[in-house]
Amino acid sequence: MKIHSLTKEEVFQTLVTSENGLTEEEAKKRFTEFGPNEIEELGKTPLFIKFIKQFTHFLAILLWIGACLAILSESLHPGEGMLTLGLAITGVIFINAIFTFIQEYRAEKAVEKLKLLLPFHVKVVREGKVKEIPAREVVPGDLILLSEGDKVPADSRLIETKFLMVNNAPLTGESESVPLDTSPYTGDLIQSKNILFAGTTVVSGSGKGIVFATGMRTEFGRIAQLTGTVSSGLSPLQKEIIKITRVIAVLATATGAIFFLIGHFIGRTFWENFLFAIGIIVANVPEGLLPTVTLSLAMGSQRMAKRKALIKTLTSVETLGAVSVICTDKTGTLTQNKMSVKRVISLDESKKIENQPSIFTVALLCNNTKEIEGDLKGDPTEIALYKAAIDSIGHLDSERVKEFPFDFDRKRMSTINNLYGKNFILTKGAPESILSVCSHFLINSEITSLDTSIRERVSLFNHSLMDEGLRVLAFAFKEIKSSEEIIVAEDAEKDMVFLGLIGLEDPPRPEVPEAIKKCREAGIRIIMITGDGSRTALAIANEIGLVKGEPVIIEGNEFLKMSDDELRDILSKEEVIFSRMTPKYKLRVVNILKEEGERVAVTGDGVNDAPALKRADIGIAMGISGTDVAKEAADMILLDDNFATIVNAIEEGRTVYENIRKFISYIFSSNIPEIVPYLAYVLFRIPLPLTIMQILAVDLGTDMLPALALGAEKPSSGIMKTPPRSPKERLLTFPLLIRAYLFLGPIEATAGLFGFFYVLNLYGWQWGQMLESSNIIYLQATTACLTAIIVTQVANVFACRSFKESIFSLGIFSNRLIFIGLTFEILLQFFIVYHPLGNKIFSTYPISLNIWLILLPFAFLLFFAEEMRKLIYRKVLK
Amino acid sequence: MYSKILAAVNEHLNSEISARYAIYLAKACGAKLYICFIAETGISRSSFDKAENAMKRIFIKAEEMGIKTESITGTGEPVSEINKIVKHEGIDIVFTATRREDIEKRFYAGTIARTLSLRVPCSVALVRIVHIGKLYPKHILVPLKAKINNVKERAYFTAKMAEGFNSKVFVFHSPKPFTKFFQGEIHLTPFEWTKRLPKDILNFIEYLKKYGIAHEGKLAPGAIGKSITIEAASKRHDLIIMGASERNLLNSLLLGNPVEELLKNTPCNLIIFKPGHEDS
Repeated sequence: MKIHSLTKEEVFQTLVTSENGLTEEEAKKRFTEFGPNEIEELGKTPLFIKFIKQFTHFLAILLWIGACLAILSESLHPGEGMLTLGLAITGVIFINAIFTFIQEYRAEKAVEKLKLLLPFHVKVVREGKVKEIPAREVVPGDLILLSEGDKVPADSRLIETKFLMVNNAPLTGESESVPLDTSPYTGDLIQSKNILFAGTTVVSGSGKGIVFATGMRTEFGRIAQLTGTVSSGLSPLQKEIIKITRVIAVLATATGAIFFLIGHFIGRTFWENFLFAIGIIVANVPEGLLPTVTLSLAMGSQRMAKRKALIKTLTSVETLGAVSVICTDKTGTLTQNKMSVKRVISLDESKKIENQPSIFTVALLCNNTKEIEGDLKGDPTEIALYKAAIDSIGHLDSERVKEFPFDFDRKRMSTINNLYGKNFILTKGAPESILSVCSHFLINSEITSLDTSIRERVSLFNHSLMDEGLRVLAFAFKEIKSSEEIIVAEDAEKDMVFLGLIGLEDPPRPEVPEAIKKCREAGIRIIMITGDGSRTALAIANEIGLVKGEPVIIEGNEFLKMSDDELRDILSKEEVIFSRMTPKYKLRVVNILKEEGERVAVTGDGVNDAPALKRADIGIAMGISGTDVAKEAADMILLDDNFATIVNAIEEGRTVYENIRKFISYIFSSNIPEIVPYLAYVLFRIPLPLTIMQILAVDLGTDMLPALALGAEKPSSGIMKTPPRSPKERLLTFPLLIRAYLFLGPIEATAGLFGFFYVLNLYGWQWGQMLESSNIIYLQATTACLTAIIVTQVANVFACRSFKESIFSLGIFSNRLIFIGLTFEILLQFFIVYHPLGNKIFSTYPISLNIWLILLPFAFLLFFAEEMRKLIYRKVLK
Repeated sequence: MYSKILAAVNEHLNSEISARYAIYLAKACGAKLYICFIAETGISRSSFDKAENAMKRIFIKAEEMGIKTESITGTGEPVSEINKIVKHEGIDIVFTATRREDIEKRFYAGTIARTLSLRVPCSVALVRIVHIGKLYPKHILVPLKAKINNVKERAYFTAKMAEGFNSKVFVFHSPKPFTKFFQGEIHLTPFEWTKRLPKDILNFIEYLKKYGIAHEGKLAPGAIGKSITIEAASKRHDLIIMGASERNLLNSLLLGNPVEELLKNTPCNLIIFKPGHEDS
């Protein structure tokens, strides 16, 4: 027994209340016990906590230790520039924290939007008197009064109704109004007609209900609770960055510690070793990586916006590229949501029927389409019927006496119309539902008994229309006496005369078949979730190329009976369609797919889609038809509601991931020429060839814009022809590290040391001779080392544009941003080398053009060595 | 296992609803039901009447269901009076309701419910009522941790509650995510998780099978309190039966307390069960 299955008296007894309502004292007690009737935001982490977390991850802690040690050293050894270093490292921590925060930031407003759907005041009966109280003070057991236009404040069991109709769209996603009554119901609570749900609206009539759930315990609160608490977890990119930073942190610490000990055993002072250890950590950490990733994602989101996909969380840009399953709605996303009548099947072949309704008469009059200033407003299906009827029979003069609205149990709607001076009941609805209330049919203008053979014939027509992908409606009428008063739909809808069927088409969007083909080639599965019947869904799926074989089709009622394991088995199939489904089931589908390791994108537009949108790796809301709640819960908004836009966004996401790998390769290459000078300094007793500030100049300065330009590379030709990358695939792969650390990096390191020793030798430096940090020869030598890194990194940008394609086949000028990035890089280096302020900050000194020129061959060496590697890769290895 | 069940009732609606759970358990166990109301000093007349009426309603309902029932009304300090009744009558399990204002207190320390659960020498079912519309639970969620004591009694209590309401039990375990330092969190499918199912949970399921209770199992790695709340809300469970917290104050402060979290945010009624019978 549940609340909706009880009689009125049992409801009073169970909820310990009466027709006089609660007493004020009891209401107060219950308010204390059950709390205010309001939607709370559970588990919301304040923004400042999210920001602070960016300073406490593993790499940040390592850098904090480095910064603290540097600042501590300043007090022990003043004037060695350690304070500047400490501050610089702190700056790096802040820069990384800010950029990561921006990357992960997302305004969480879905629950706020939900709150707007609840009323502020409500009428209740307490101590036998009607009172208006703030809706937040409603408690379980309160007797509430509702009339047309009121929003329902809490889940309530109806005890009295007068033609009460509500719009349950926020809960069910269905825009049709539902008539309610007080009779006990034994089925599911959500389908019960004696229950008013919080967040819904009274469309007409009035009623009294006893509140049995308030606030977060209502069905509406359940949506809010799920929307506020479920999350998709870390994005693939966030997980990868955590892994990379851990690898780097351990690598940097281990290298620093090992060479600190080596320095100690070969007789270096503690101070020298300490400086070295900090330097090796700073050199190992790619300080510019996180800012570059963030900016690259931001650029990706801009490009997606131009393709009508609005991204709300930056990390979603890359997540899109990893999507392996798309769960999509049909109507409006795969199809145009522009209904039109395609087929009319009438058993009556006579052209004109005197003083009797035809199929188009019913289509026109049993219809709620409104003509407002020349525009037709209403449900797309009804508009299509209205248009077809007007085209066929023109306008009719008829007065509507009564309406029995559509509901999901009856699956039909009826009106009583006065036409030709008589009263008629006009009914339209699902064919099986209409046939069940018909006893006659119209043939040759005569009303004839509807026998089994005719029923079978109608059923065959119905199936053939559905197999064409059409939504099928049946039409019927019945004449009644003018004096006859009919109160309930069941009395009206019986012994009716069957008129025929109309098949309506919602044509697929023209871009969809191509987009589905792309998904197939890209190894992305598409699962259609629709409210339509199986045959219609299958026909559309065939038409757009969504299914090739025999798909598994699961209807909503079967879905409900399935255990998670059974559903898991179904979802592992290649082609799956869910028909006659409501949005609330999407969360379960998404959950199971995610548990199986899939990366899921799901579309949605209604309030009750919000939890699924939040749970999916990529929640996609419809920009045109979507509710505010869905838009706030989603990661991406489709500005054109078009499925093809999702596929474009996935292509962009895959490109972004590929490009991130390109600039990681570029950034990591420069780590080696930053580390090697420190090793040489410890092992060979030479002056330090590159200072820590110069390392930061590369990582956070000159490398940044060229790396970003790599982030804007166009997609490679086969990007949508490979399966989604495996969750096990690493961003930082072994081949990528080998290429950066053992191939490109060493060339750059050689160039750096060559430049350094070239300048020292030029001025007669002898091996073993240590130079003051302010010595001009030393300053020029480190400047040459830094310049060598910059010059070779210029060549490296071109080398990193592709892992296997030659730059000559890509086109040297095909990415103009590269040249903007390089211009910035060179201008910044000019500033560092030739401007007094640059000299002061980075401990540099101007060098002659001659030195630039002798470093150029290293750039050419790197460029052609990489071209050769790519050639071998293409011709020999592959 | 349970032949005498005591339901503590007072002037608050939640105590009456929690007593209804006791009725169904008594029915399933064939136990005698004791309904007690201990009036604290200074209680108002109207509160007294409300509690008396609640007792009457519970009594009538239990009698209608053919349960042997006894009402006890007393005055004094509720915890010590109930303790006396438990000892005198040889009560096996006490049903008592927590109040929202108890939950507001950290670790609901110092509350009657908490003190009672610590002091009475029998099992305790601490009931948190948040939804008075979900009267007869059809879906009972039972979150279990990896290591559980008194498996037999926990399974018995769950099975009898399910039997009483003819409900299906959903066993839920929320393990810590499987992580490796360099690889971070490793995704395991439910099938892979099932292979790692702790022994105590397997034993619990075995007992449910023995009692012939329809059940399903699920694993969802993550933060325990949050995972349970999401599971209960998304699957529309009607009742959660959970073990009492065994975390001490320091651990609760440092690591959080899932029971406390759930008491605050539960989407459906909740029974915090503290077993009192050692496994034989």
